[in-house]
Amino acid sequence: MSEAEPIVVKTVAELKDAPEEFREAVAKLVISHAINELYGAQVFDEPAIALAPTPYAKWLTCRVAMEEYGHHVRFKQLGEQIGIPEGRMMPSDSKRPLSIFEFPLKTWEEFVTIKLLADLAEILQVEDLLHCAFHPLRNLARATMPEERFHAQFGEDFAAELVKTPEGKARLQDAINRYFPYLPAFFGGSKSRNNEIFRKWNIKLRTNDDMRADFLNRAREVTAKYGLSLPEYQEAA
Amino acid sequence: MTSPAPSPDDVGDAIAAASWFAAVGEPWTAADQSEAESYTHALQLGMLRIAIAHDWHDAARITQDPGWSRTWWDIEEHQRQDLTLAAERQVGRHALMTALSAVMAAAGDLVHGKAALAAARAGIADPTLTRVAAGAAAMACHQLALSTIAQASESHPFRIKFRLFAAGRWPLCAVGDAMYVF
Repeated sequence: MSEAEPIVVKTVAELKDAPEEFREAVAKLVISHAINELYGAQVFDEPAIALAPTPYAKWLTCRVAMEEYGHHVRFKQLGEQIGIPEGRMMPSDSKRPLSIFEFPLKTWEEFVTIKLLADLAEILQVEDLLHCAFHPLRNLARATMPEERFHAQFGEDFAAELVKTPEGKARLQDAINRYFPYLPAFFGGSKSRNNEIFRKWNIKLRTNDDMRADFLNRAREVTAKYGLSLPEYQEAA
Repeated sequence: MTSPAPSPDDVGDAIAAASWFAAVGEPWTAADQSEAESYTHALQLGMLRIAIAHDWHDAARITQDPGWSRTWWDIEEHQRQDLTLAAERQVGRHALMTALSAVMAAAGDLVHGKAALAAARAGIADPTLTRVAAGAAAMACHQLALSTIAQASESHPFRIKFRLFAAGRWPLCAVGDAMYVF
């Protein structure tokens, strides 16, 4: 791939003068984040309020759901500013959700697993935008990051509670065993053309494989902290 | 003479005007007692005494008590579902969801900020607990919006619960023979 002249786009207004490939890459990322944040709130966070074991956990989950929905709104607003039609930033029948959202949430332990591991995966995705060449997207990532970190901490805090009893620990480990296999694919294919373009324009920094490897290390670390483990992961050939 | 039915705009005004968490930890008043009793009666929870959480640590402990009343939560959930159906009949599902989303978008950061401020004034720097408080307040806003759109009476438990929040209190939960309010 040919090297692109590095550019920095500081405002939404400047984006219209950026190369088409840059504009399309930014749009793809904004759409992806807007949809994923909404899916997360709708299929995991809102239903988890009913599963939460105490009023404290229920209200905290309610707040987390609102924050995730707020992330969707922020990405959607940025999308509208750069001319993406609203319909493209909403889940639809024609857009298949990522596999991580196809997991049928049934228990509190599953939700804790999702916060512990899926939100860690989300942190990595947002981290990669913290130096994005399109500054409005970089700024949005910076605004979102503290709440994303809190959501992963939520997963850790409730994991710490659950592992206090052997039964709770076994239920949590079982949830990890069933949910974790969905996660590595969240980072995209090894030979992703989109990722190549993102990196070419300094919109993102790392390859999908680098991020996946980093995620696996961090996920192993955080689960080990609570005496838990990840199931065997077979890397795609 | 009957007063005109409140509109979703009234909900926004009520949320903006509420004294969110301003009276938590302050001395309990006869008016607070009366409102809290009305809330438990409206939920038909039987004979519950009103008990007070004295500080934020107390509130955190009470809301994590394993003996909390699931009946209380379930009754509120049933009320919420009934109101949702009634509100959908009044304005249609799409309009209801749009109105509720607008209320929650406006309320979310406001109540979180108020909770964080009140906790900070009490010397509490606990981002989790302030989010718990904000979640409870946001849920009360949602319930107020539903009860308003469904044109529920002023004696509906969600209206009374919101009045407790508006008065700066935080209605917590039922544990054993008591309904706790902060």
